[in-house]
Amino acid sequence: MAQKTILIVEDNQNQRALYAEELSDEGYNVLTAADGREALATVKDNRPDLVILDINMPVMDGLDTLSQLLEYDKQIKVIINTAYASYQDSFTSWSADAYVVKSSDLSTLKSTVQNLLNDSAS
Amino acid sequence: MRKATKVASSRRSTKRSTNGQTASETTPTEAAVKNASSTLSNGTEPPASPVDRYARPNAVHYAPTISRGVFARGQESELQQTMVMVLAGGQGERLYPLTKDRAKPAVPFGAHYRIIDFALSNCINSGMRRILVLTQYKSFSLQRHIQATWSLFNAVLGEYIDVIPPQQRNVKRWYQGTADAIFQNIYMLEQERPRFVVILGGDHIYKMDYAKMLDFHLRHDADLTISCTTVSREEAKRLGVAGTDETGRITRFVEKPKDPPTIPGSPNESYASMGVYIFSTDILVRRVIEDVKQDTEHDFGKNIIPRMVRDKDRVFAYPFVDENKTDNHHNGEVYWRDIGTMASYYDVNMDLVSGSPAFNLYDDEWPIHRRSQPGPPAKTLCHGTDRLAIVHDSLLATGAIVSGSSVVRSILGPRCFIHSWADVEDSILFDDVEVGRHCRIRRAIIDKHVKIPAGTVIGHDLEADRQRFTVTPEGVVVIPKGMVLK
Repeated sequence: MAQKTILIVEDNQNQRALYAEELSDEGYNVLTAADGREALATVKDNRPDLVILDINMPVMDGLDTLSQLLEYDKQIKVIINTAYASYQDSFTSWSADAYVVKSSDLSTLKSTVQNLLNDSAS
Repeated sequence: MRKATKVASSRRSTKRSTNGQTASETTPTEAAVKNASSTLSNGTEPPASPVDRYARPNAVHYAPTISRGVFARGQESELQQTMVMVLAGGQGERLYPLTKDRAKPAVPFGAHYRIIDFALSNCINSGMRRILVLTQYKSFSLQRHIQATWSLFNAVLGEYIDVIPPQQRNVKRWYQGTADAIFQNIYMLEQERPRFVVILGGDHIYKMDYAKMLDFHLRHDADLTISCTTVSREEAKRLGVAGTDETGRITRFVEKPKDPPTIPGSPNESYASMGVYIFSTDILVRRVIEDVKQDTEHDFGKNIIPRMVRDKDRVFAYPFVDENKTDNHHNGEVYWRDIGTMASYYDVNMDLVSGSPAFNLYDDEWPIHRRSQPGPPAKTLCHGTDRLAIVHDSLLATGAIVSGSSVVRSILGPRCFIHSWADVEDSILFDDVEVGRHCRIRRAIIDKHVKIPAGTVIGHDLEADRQRFTVTPEGVVVIPKGMVLK
């Protein structure tokens, strides 16, 4: 199976580095972006299989990014990864394939990534 | 949330210190600064201010209105939790040239109405006053009409009618289909958070109480309710058809089927969708998002509904209850007309001029609201015995003048002027049409601001008419808005 590419969109530099390291260790090819606009540019050029998207970010937030992502690529899988559970009430967030509330334990995030990529492979 | 608490606590500290109760040795300002950044000396959080108990910005989801106050007092009404979305974005190509400069719902109808006035009157008469009209092509005329006609709503009471062109909020494209139009307006649903959404087209002539349908939707605990009218199996072949079980639950939904499913216990009839839907909002949002991610036509009839039926959502057929009260119905048939073609447009208009119209404009319990324009009453004039005004079986709008001429089985729009010895029959004239002396006009639709020169003959020689006008297959001559004739 070809190596899957994941784009991590996260404004906090430390968290971004942490996710990148952890997911690289899992065997994924990892790209990063610090805000929504950077993410859209990266998606255009690199077509990742999955995007992990923070919501509260400067320049362009995750919800705006999400809508526009779908225009580039309807099939792309998106996981919203935020510290706030309350954005789940936003209809816009329902366009994502999964919603994960940030935690120091990355196992939920990792298993969600795995499930979504397996789904798309089947 | 965390942020709000922080602001509140600094406000509390400021207030207390300016009262001088805790800050005897420092100036009020110094105390405020000190208290804002610290907890009390014993290390605990300062007590909450009384205001925290009753003013909670994070509990307000939308701008408060008086009607919501009523709701909060326990007089719960599902009507107040319902939003209407009128889909008025189609191109209306089959009504060309009447849609040359306007969207189909804005096409004039019945002397002084526009097609959309019937659907909007249904909303008002059903008690639904939160309405979004989604437009797309040539929306100016429609927007202007709605502004001039339908500004009846009171924002303080939480009522509105808003015309919304594609905003390209979440995507950079025009509406790709009916379901995409809803998807692109998810933000509007998010702002309002209605429990139910009524979706309907702006191009049908009928009278319907959507509140009765909402009751049905609630009674059946439905995800989606589709208003259906009973048609013969033959007619069903060109419509969206619902196959149901005995309870009315839809088990199959097909567009233009060769072999239409029938109504249980009635083998020669089928349920045809009228394009009037009530959705529970959450399901609607999930289904349009799901659909927009697929390569479909993004159409309710073709994609969303069949998918919901397949996935075992609770989709029900609501048997249309006709509010058109008249003795002129034949065999108990209901009145619902799709103004899809020039022929149906002409026939539905012509029904109104007959002595016993099937559609009742005279029922004060179901008024059809329309734009009221200033202007003098309609007038007829005779100038001696050879210049009589002969007017019968016709509708005349405000300011129309028939001067020494003959108007039979026709509709004259506002300020039409028919000059002496002219002869107009079986025709529909829009606003400000002037017909010169000795003209002979039959079976014509003449759009606004056309001046017909004296002596012109229209509708009597279709071959000649085809040289310069659109002539429908049924032989109706259509003259577009503002056309200049010699």
